[in-house]
Amino acid sequence: MTTAAGLSRRHFLRNAGLVGLGALGSSSFLAACATSASNGPVKQAAGAVTVQSNLSSPQAKVAIEALAKAFGDKGGATATVNTVASETFRTQLPSYLTSANPPDTFTWYPGSLLSGYAKKGLLLDVGDVWQTMGNYSQAMRSLSGDGAGHQVFVPMTYYWCGFFYRKSNFAKWGVTPPSTWSEFLTLCETLKGKGISPIGLGAGGGTQWTASAWFDYLNIRINGAQFHRDLLAGRGRFDDPKVKKIFDPWRQVLPYTDPNGTALAFQDATTVLLQGKTGMVLTGTYFADAAPKDAIDDLDFFQFPILDPSVPVAEEGPTDGFFASARTPHQAEVKEWFKYVATPEAQELYIKNSSGTVLPANPSAKNSGTPLVLKGKKMLDEAKELTQFFNRDSSDALQPTADVALIRFIQKPNELDSILSDWQTAAAKVFQGQS
Amino acid sequence: MAVLAAPAASVKRRRRAVRRVPPTLLLFVLVPLAVEGFWVFWPALQGFYLSLTKWDGVSAPTFVGLDNYAEMLSDDIFGTAALDTVIWIVLFGGLSAAGGLGLAMLLNRERKGVGFYRAALFTPVVFSLVATALIWQAIYQPDGVFNNVLGAIGLDSWKHSWLADPDTALYAVLVPALWRQLGYVMVLYLAGLKGIDPVLYEAAKLDGATAWQQFRHVTWPQLRSVNSVVLSVIIIDSLRSFDVVWSMTKGGPYHSSELLSTYMYSTAFQSLRLGYASALAVVIFVLAFGVIVTYLVRAFREDQ
Amino acid sequence: MSVTTTRPAPPAAPEERVPAKRNHKRARRTFGFHLVAGGLSVLWLLPIVLVITTSVRSFSDIASNGLGALPHSFDLSSFGEAWGVGGGGHAMLNSFIVTIPTVLLSLLLASAAAFALSRFQIPFRRTIILVMLSGNLLPPQILLVPVSKLSELLGIYDTLTALIIVQVGFGLGFYTFVLQGFMRSIPDEIQQAALIDGAGPIAIFWRIILPMTRPALAALGALAFTWTFNDLLWSITVLRTETVMPVTPALLGLQGQYVSNWNVIAAGSVIAAVPTVAVFLRFQKHFISGLAIGAIK
Repeated sequence: MTTAAGLSRRHFLRNAGLVGLGALGSSSFLAACATSASNGPVKQAAGAVTVQSNLSSPQAKVAIEALAKAFGDKGGATATVNTVASETFRTQLPSYLTSANPPDTFTWYPGSLLSGYAKKGLLLDVGDVWQTMGNYSQAMRSLSGDGAGHQVFVPMTYYWCGFFYRKSNFAKWGVTPPSTWSEFLTLCETLKGKGISPIGLGAGGGTQWTASAWFDYLNIRINGAQFHRDLLAGRGRFDDPKVKKIFDPWRQVLPYTDPNGTALAFQDATTVLLQGKTGMVLTGTYFADAAPKDAIDDLDFFQFPILDPSVPVAEEGPTDGFFASARTPHQAEVKEWFKYVATPEAQELYIKNSSGTVLPANPSAKNSGTPLVLKGKKMLDEAKELTQFFNRDSSDALQPTADVALIRFIQKPNELDSILSDWQTAAAKVFQGQS
Repeated sequence: MAVLAAPAASVKRRRRAVRRVPPTLLLFVLVPLAVEGFWVFWPALQGFYLSLTKWDGVSAPTFVGLDNYAEMLSDDIFGTAALDTVIWIVLFGGLSAAGGLGLAMLLNRERKGVGFYRAALFTPVVFSLVATALIWQAIYQPDGVFNNVLGAIGLDSWKHSWLADPDTALYAVLVPALWRQLGYVMVLYLAGLKGIDPVLYEAAKLDGATAWQQFRHVTWPQLRSVNSVVLSVIIIDSLRSFDVVWSMTKGGPYHSSELLSTYMYSTAFQSLRLGYASALAVVIFVLAFGVIVTYLVRAFREDQ
Repeated sequence: MSVTTTRPAPPAAPEERVPAKRNHKRARRTFGFHLVAGGLSVLWLLPIVLVITTSVRSFSDIASNGLGALPHSFDLSSFGEAWGVGGGGHAMLNSFIVTIPTVLLSLLLASAAAFALSRFQIPFRRTIILVMLSGNLLPPQILLVPVSKLSELLGIYDTLTALIIVQVGFGLGFYTFVLQGFMRSIPDEIQQAALIDGAGPIAIFWRIILPMTRPALAALGALAFTWTFNDLLWSITVLRTETVMPVTPALLGLQGQYVSNWNVIAAGSVIAAVPTVAVFLRFQKHFISGLAIGAIK
């Protein structure tokens, strides 16, 4: 690009620009836009901590922005939230992290992916932040470690999963929540007799991952949390007979599962449940976000029934929070931000602005106090162990292999053997590809 | 591009007057070439190199030679995706070409309302995919518009979870893909039909040609150059077709609507196996390049 | 919405004295035409109508009755939400800042290259054309990581400038390919006359060839506008800050991690479609005649 060409191009551009504007029938408004293109990037505020956030649902976005504002208002460092669509966030996270000038902090969850990044030296050690977090549970502390003795994550909230249902519907049908597997089957039979699809599912569209909740729960109920974690970390095989065994109870309930379950996206499955066409759905509390406001007080849940009383009870308690890039130029400010989000007041503020069905990670913080939330917290407190969720305990890379296997099982349960061996093959490639 | 396939006679008529190439002209070529080279070819070369490596997108890539290409041979999903891609090229390409031509012939003559009809058929081309994917999912839902229409016309037994059934998912996605493509191809063909000299039809009518004979002996030969545009567009679009399929099924359920392009994307950005994904991209490139270059070289030769 | 073209209907001459019987036949055929074309148009517009319907429903209505159900509410607030809270207004501005220079710059560069390659005996010109086109045959998804690293290397990562340059680079091959085909069909005599008058190549390009290429430029311009305006891939590759995101990634950003307000997304999509539809309706006339001239010979 020589100067001569540059000169004539600029000349051309001006003329062409006029032609273009004339054609669009527009005014100087557009001309101003066109020239401002060269003004370059929108610079981040000096000294402000950038929080790259995937909390793109309107409510969560409002909550995290309110949190950043409150952080700034208390003096000292400030924070700017930068929200991108969660799907974009997920695919771009490796790029963000390996960038020479990465965002300072990220919303994310603990899990094997995080320890992978930590091993590559991409994450900031926030051990000194944890020294101010003495009241956090040991479980939270070890969850936030990288497996090599460093703390790389600061949790803010967590939530629970269970069978959600509409209280008014259960009352109308004259049924009560089950506590054992056989009661669960009876409940399904009763509902089916009334012409209702007992078990709703939203594993169609873009939300096939919701089927993994079933896999997780059956595995932790039958084989226990440790086996589950090992399997998901690549230390087991999906064609193991112990894995195959968990599909037996699943096969028992397939006749009670909504036949449209693999055709409906999660949000549509919520609608179907609220309409009383399905009886209950195994999901996390984000389920409540999909319900209209007037239905939320009508929602309740029950625990996934115990299948083997000898297996210590584990529950899914996915945790959300933040980690920071090792290359951040604002280390002190980032740690100040982390110390803030770990406080009860910050978490209470966040929960107040969000949908309110999440639990604060800080044990001293108050949750929203509704009966539903208290019940959920009690269930998690009584659990011997907590797991995260399929993609969190394994990785987002392994999740599609589970989607393929589980959807195929739901549709063609008789092909289980080949499903599991295909799954193992696909999973092996993922683990190998990442090592 | 159209001219590449133009009859030899018309090209011979225009003998190149300028044999000596002024230096300014080299800049005319070199500047765009440099821009494209820097932003397309340089990254593309890196892509080719990555196809010889194992890479997770974070650590340094390790060189593995042709292992990725060898893996394709034993990869069932690659086989499925390749087969689906062939089906896709034939159906998506064939139907959009035939349908686009049909629509263009229908809407060729200027008459009342024709502008509206053209605009209506064209709107899907410009409409955001985020919303259209959402709506098509709603249309295909078990109790969605499509099944309701089937029920209303007495075809209850045809009701179906179109996107969730591995036997129908690929074809169900084909419909919105065609819906978005037909207007585009229609406009290309409209342009071609506009260019046909009306005198040719008058002459054919005087000879007593039927409508079919007019199409066969006047319209079709005259569309030859547009066909080459359409062919290139269709090959490029069907091999790279990605967004509609990805936003509606992500290649599922269990790979039944997997195309090479969606498989490449999920391998790269979900499985984080960017080396293998690059090798898949190279395969897609070779397929597209093969078809188009074969065609263009033939056209060049006829050109001389 | 109606768009008229300038060319008169071709064979209208001898139909003034047709007998009444033929008039009947013609009326039937006209009716048949409108039935078919109208039916197809309705079919084609149906999904768009559904998007618009969704955009005027309330979230509670969608959540309790489903996306496919008939509307039980009428609520225009989703448009305000998409424009304001969702950042649609700002994103729209970014889209214009990116799209207009991208379209102008890529067409300018492409027509310069096409001019040189089609009107002069540049060595290896056919190979150059093929090479330039081949850049459009590689699946762009695989170039994402190298392109984002490249823009970072140049220090323009996360700027609209980067997005403009990248999109220009990726558009050039196809545009050059189409334009050079078009320019070859312009008769040589005009160029020779100018040469005799002592005009240099720049003058020939600027004063003679470019004006004659205007219809094709209008056609490609309309297409390029749509493609650039609706781009998602490159935006998320070279940008990461919310405030610089154009409209398509911003629309995507309205989707939540678990739950999305479909009414707001639909409203945003309707807003985002307005400029592209407007450009297309404005350019359709040129578009049809433009490609026609290029395709004729």
